[in-house]
Parts: sequence; C-alpha cells; structure tokens
Amino acid sequence: MLLADDVSRALFAEYAGHRSSDRGGEETGWALLGLRRADEAVVLGTLPAGAGREADEAHVKFNAAAQAFASRVVRQGHRQLTLLGVVHTHPGSLRHPSSGDYRGDVRWVANLRGAEGVFGIGTADAAPNPDAGISWQPAPNVQCLGELCLSWYALGIQDRNYRPLPVELTIGPDLAAPLRPVWDELEVHAERLERLARQLSRVKFDVAPGHQKSALVVTIPLPEDGRAIRVELEGKDVRYRLLIPDGDLAADLREDRVDVGVFLMLSELAAR
Amino acid sequence: MDFRPLTETERKHLITALRGNAQDGLAVLMDRQTTSFLGTAEEVPDEEVINAIRSVPCHY
Repeated sequence: MLLADDVSRALFAEYAGHRSSDRGGEETGWALLGLRRADEAVVLGTLPAGAGREADEAHVKFNAAAQAFASRVVRQGHRQLTLLGVVHTHPGSLRHPSSGDYRGDVRWVANLRGAEGVFGIGTADAAPNPDAGISWQPAPNVQCLGELCLSWYALGIQDRNYRPLPVELTIGPDLAAPLRPVWDELEVHAERLERLARQLSRVKFDVAPGHQKSALVVTIPLPEDGRAIRVELEGKDVRYRLLIPDGDLAADLREDRVDVGVFLMLSELAAR
Repeated sequence: MDFRPLTETERKHLITALRGNAQDGLAVLMDRQTTSFLGTAEEVPDEEVINAIRSVPCHY
C-alpha cells in the first residue's frame, strides 16, 4: 500500500490533536479514499470521523452522512477515487483490529473494490524516539511518530484474519484536506446537501473565503446563460445569492435549511 | 495487420485491465477502428462510494 505523504501527516496530526482534545479518551478514526489498483492501493484522501461520531473509549461509529457527502465533493474532480478502507484508534496498546472489528469488517469488505479493504489501527504506545519529529517503521506494516503508531492490515471477504499490510510513503496530496476548514458546516448541512446533489444536476461544491473564515459554497447553474444560484455556508450563516453576468445579487432570504432555500429561490425565479 | 510485442508498460496496463474486468467487472475499452486496447473505464460511480461509506460498521 502506498500512502501519500500528506495523508500520513494528516493522520498523525489529527490523531495527536484528537488526543489533546476534550474527547481525547474516545476512539476516533478516518475513512480512506484512494486508487484501487490490481496489486496495490494508493491512499489519497482522509475523511475524519467528525464531531457527530458516536464514540467512547471502546467503540467508534463515524458520522457517515458527513463522510458520504464529503466523498461526493472530493470526487468532483477525481472520479477514479474509491473507498479503500478505514483507520480507527485503540485507547490501549492493541495494535491489531479486535474480534469485534473482524465480525463487522469481513462482511463490509464485500462493498469494496476487489472485496478487500485496508484497515489501520492507531495506538499511542510507541517507545520514545530520540530522533524527535522523524517517523520510523519498526515493522513493514507499522508507522510511528512520537508516541503514536499506525499499524496497517488488509482483509478480504474470505480471510479468516487480517493480514499485515506493508506500507510505503509517496509524495502526494490529501485530496480531502481543503474540506477541513468547513468540516463543521459540512456536518451540519450534509444530509440536505446530499439531497440537493441527488435532485439537481450540475450542482457544484467548493470551499471559498467567507466573511470571517472559509465557507462551503454551493453553486447551481441556471439554464439561462451565465446565471447561477450561489449559497455560502459559513458558521451558522446561510447566505443566498443570484449570480448574473454583471455581478451578483444578495437574496433577501432567511432559510437555514439549504435545500429548502435553494428550491424557494428556484421557485421565485421560475415565476418571473 | 500489424503484429508486434507489447511494451512492458502496455503489458502491465493490459494485465491490470483484464484483472479489473475479471474481478470487478470493469469495462475494457477498445479502439473502434483498430480494435486495439485503449485502457479501462476507471470512473467509480458516486453511489458505490457513498453506499460503502454509509455501511462502514462500528469499530471497537
């Protein structure tokens, strides 16, 4: 398996950030996007479990609605990306998926290309390394940085146990990194944005500078040349605009439910 | 008709395509004029990825 270096950095950095957060005692995790080739997997994107995850010190269930919508956004420009597997953390020193993990995973991998998945286990049990700041691999399937370790395995639908999966780094991006500044907005609006994406063709999602921070931006092109509806989601603000060739017009619309707001604007425009 | 050995790169692409076809049902693309090998349809449908994400089991 090949890990893009930005993916590896994101996993270690966010794992460290999670441990120092007020929910640091809980398990957490990431879904992994990438390329599934005949003989290897190349990991090119990480989707975090999210604030909406269900977790404690013994289990984690990702915020799947947010991750599913995020995958749609990331894959807008990378249609070949697929789901490769997941990483989750263990609070102790068990560097291997549990028997409970196996019971779920061995059925779940039927949903993945090749009926095989990649599974990472995060632990914080590495011996201190004098070369601070430099990662090392005590085994071909184990990466360590500071006290943190990621141990990698593969599991196929007919496997009776996980197989250690050698990991190598390659220079490459975390294609989901641009979504991190708007992940809160993404979690809040994921279900409604996913519905919009299914109902309307040519909807586009971007991250753009907002008033105070980055905003998650939805653009719906209209049939007329050069016109589009634009929605900016920034914090608790939901701003609607009509883009026209000469500029843009702010819509006097207060509607937090983004799909409802878009259809109200479409209705208003259709009546004119 | 032109017969020539495949280059190493061409051979790898063809083997990958045939494996993808056999294992995952991926289409193998063919040049409509010369019937030569053109590659594979590598796009993954949104629904496939989204269904896989939504079905990720609880981990312990």
